[in-house]
Amino acid sequence: MKKKILTLALGVTLLAVGGCSQGEADANTEASEEPLVVYLNDFDEMIEPLFEEATGHDIEIVSGNGAEVQSRIEAEKGNPNWDVVWMDGQAAFARWDNEGVLLNDLDVDNLANLNELGKSLLPESKSYVATGAHAASVIVYNTNEISAADAPKSWNDLTNANLENLVGMADPAVAAPAYPFVSWFFEDLGMDGGKQYFTDLFANGAKVYPKNPNIAEALLNGDIQAAALQESNAYGLKAKGEPIEVVWPEEGAPASVRYLGINKESEKVEIAKEFINFLLEKETQTEMVAAGSEGYFSPTVTGVEDLADRPENAKLLISDAALAAENEAEVKEWFADQSVE
Amino acid sequence: MKAFMHRYLSPNSISGWIVTIVLTILILVPLMAVLMQIFFPGLFFGDNQFAGWEILFQIFERKLWSVSLINSLTLATGTAILGTILGGALAILRSSRSFKTAVALDFAAWALLILPSFILAQGWILFASGKGIANQLFSVTWITDLVFQPFGLIMIMTLCKFSYTYLAVTAALEWNVKRYGEAARLCGASNWTTFWTIHTPLLIPAFLSGAALIFMDTIGDFGLPASLAAVYSFPTLPYSIYTALYTAPIRFDMAGVLSLYLVGIIFIAMLFQMWVLKKGKFDFMNERAERQVAKKSRYSFLYTLVNIGFLLIALGIPIGSNLLVSFMKTIGNGISIGNFTLEHYRILFQLDSTMLEGLSNSLLIAGIAAVIGMIIGFFIGYVLIFTNFRLSPLVDSLSIISLAVPGVVLGIGYIFVWNQPWLEPLGLQLYGTPWILILASVAGAIPIAARLMISSMTKIPQSLLSAAALQGASFKERILTILIPLIRASLLTAGLTAFGTSVFDLAVSTILFPPGFMTLPVAINQAFDDLEYGYATAATIFSGTFVVLVIMGLRWMIEKWFNRKQTSKGEMKEHVITGSEHIEEL
Repeated sequence: MKKKILTLALGVTLLAVGGCSQGEADANTEASEEPLVVYLNDFDEMIEPLFEEATGHDIEIVSGNGAEVQSRIEAEKGNPNWDVVWMDGQAAFARWDNEGVLLNDLDVDNLANLNELGKSLLPESKSYVATGAHAASVIVYNTNEISAADAPKSWNDLTNANLENLVGMADPAVAAPAYPFVSWFFEDLGMDGGKQYFTDLFANGAKVYPKNPNIAEALLNGDIQAAALQESNAYGLKAKGEPIEVVWPEEGAPASVRYLGINKESEKVEIAKEFINFLLEKETQTEMVAAGSEGYFSPTVTGVEDLADRPENAKLLISDAALAAENEAEVKEWFADQSVE
Repeated sequence: MKAFMHRYLSPNSISGWIVTIVLTILILVPLMAVLMQIFFPGLFFGDNQFAGWEILFQIFERKLWSVSLINSLTLATGTAILGTILGGALAILRSSRSFKTAVALDFAAWALLILPSFILAQGWILFASGKGIANQLFSVTWITDLVFQPFGLIMIMTLCKFSYTYLAVTAALEWNVKRYGEAARLCGASNWTTFWTIHTPLLIPAFLSGAALIFMDTIGDFGLPASLAAVYSFPTLPYSIYTALYTAPIRFDMAGVLSLYLVGIIFIAMLFQMWVLKKGKFDFMNERAERQVAKKSRYSFLYTLVNIGFLLIALGIPIGSNLLVSFMKTIGNGISIGNFTLEHYRILFQLDSTMLEGLSNSLLIAGIAAVIGMIIGFFIGYVLIFTNFRLSPLVDSLSIISLAVPGVVLGIGYIFVWNQPWLEPLGLQLYGTPWILILASVAGAIPIAARLMISSMTKIPQSLLSAAALQGASFKERILTILIPLIRASLLTAGLTAFGTSVFDLAVSTILFPPGFMTLPVAINQAFDDLEYGYATAATIFSGTFVVLVIMGLRWMIEKWFNRKQTSKGEMKEHVITGSEHIEEL
């Protein structure tokens, strides 16, 4: 009798645990083939088949937004599951480099393929390599609401009275791409100057949305008429036929750099280096540029042209990775606290 | 020795311990792993240094935190009150008066329970924005000001979450023991006194459990408040938790502190509930119970109209808005023939679509999680209602906590717990495998499954089981031949609801999904992040409809199978409750 009860009641636990060991066994079999585990935030659909076809190595992708990828890497710190991280945001890489998370001195052959931009973005430690840079925000406006003549032309125009309560931006405390955008202002104008710029913006009624898709939606729905929106989103909307126009401010657009680094504890360093070499090939970057809205970036490999609908000399304002990392906590906290001011 | 055996090894006691262990593994340990970060931020990274107590009191210093706390309490209390009134009123109407479209109300309550809040939020934003659907189709502009302000948020939350009270009260009203009321009337009580002293106390547990669920689900919701409150400042606790997790360096300790406050609030709410429930015992079922029959009324057309109006607002607006957008080429060009397209659905049905891959993975995960969740929910109900298990309050609290703690917090706890190197040789390093999603989905499914089980078991008198025990029925026989047949419909509802909510569980999936294993909510969220609004909504509409059809189909098949089994055994109408074929929740 007791046995029966035990069996019945223990069923739940056994079902879970028993099943789990089976699942783990399967996972172990897979592990013996050792796919390279890449954490990334874009190009998730195209890169896996391209790399596997080119090199014969298996890779597995975990894609998420920048904040999710960073949370995972931090939570896994005691036992990292990733080999390569490839995502937007210079500050995160500078911080990982400082913390000794990344493999130093990446001596991959294709560093030789880097163009001027690519070389300028390579840190001294050579722990991470840029595969491209794009505008963390450009100015966009709804053409049904604002004429080209009245459209904002510079970042300061967003604080003008004619755009009162009609401007939107992403929350750097929640949205990953928003930090590279705001950090440039804090670098260019200093901490106080940066705070002053955004205080003026908020005083003009600018609205802060959790993420870029929320801004785009508000822009199309008429809640706002102009916004600071990530470049790929801006051109993506325009390409879909939405009534959106993109403005590159005269002073330039704060940039987010897409970097790539290898986990120091990875057991697949050689394959990971192959992955870096692969991403620094002219052919790969050409394919990336052709990959829809994700293709709006300035390539870092010699001989690769960016998309024709970007301005000819798209001026990117790239904030210093180390400084951006240093200010990150303070700036994000300041923005989070603004929501109660 | 015998006393020891009776105390610790009786079937009831063993059930209690097993339920406690399962809940500890699934909920308490991962939650504690995050809460421990408050005091030992380096605990899982080889640094056991105590960080002090200061951070606990930062809530009084940092304005964002204190405002978040107040906002969250306001939002959750307001929604719980309005949701309980709305859900209770609808349930009483549904049970006492007969009108057409009543079944549609049940369906809506169900659908709102299963649909993830980000999809509902999305629908409301599309509808109520400045140039939204309300303005375009009906030239209504005041709706924007109504929705996008704190009270508007409470109203929308109420429309999305009233189902908890509705389902609980409908279930409580299903069986009516007339003679309690008749006895009161015979003793000279007025109609009002009978209502106030007999009927109301019998409904209190249902109202309370509904209110508690609404409160907890609202206080832990990030997506809906964050999306709707973007145009005005209304930070909530989950918002502050997200800012702690997404700052740099990431502050798990801050997320831990804020989660601790959430847990504290839940604890207080549970104590309040227990205090109210202590005032009476509510197992009212006996052989005189009759199925409550909805009365025909000459006003039934009016009820039908009210119901249709309500359904159009609560379900029609959010789903309809999503549906419209799924057929639109662009959002900015509004509703017009030239802007109509079927392209989003065409892409959806391509064979290599990540959405279909995500859907099949999610269905598999949710199916397994639902079965396990249903079994655990059943035993939680059993332990809380029919045993004197000493740790009942702990079981009760643990069974509801995962509703209020944001999924991402529990998800990070899961990484801490299930990604430890020493688990690897034991084959238990589950992080990075689909099994972690199943465990997390079960944890997510437990609150609703357990509450449904508790509310349906509350009505069953202990004496039914005791009588069977006296006749020599074993524990297994009592469960299988008395309890399960009586609550079969609730059990099925619990399993299917667990299934529905697991399919769309976003927060847990995004932080835990293993390499190369796409799930439906992650795929929908990525499409949304890529600004593929039409495609994302098409996927939502298709998968939502598919899941609801699967649920209804399963329900119909299982009911039919049960009924046939009973008829073939000639057991029809032989249950304890006179004249009942089976107890049905919905």
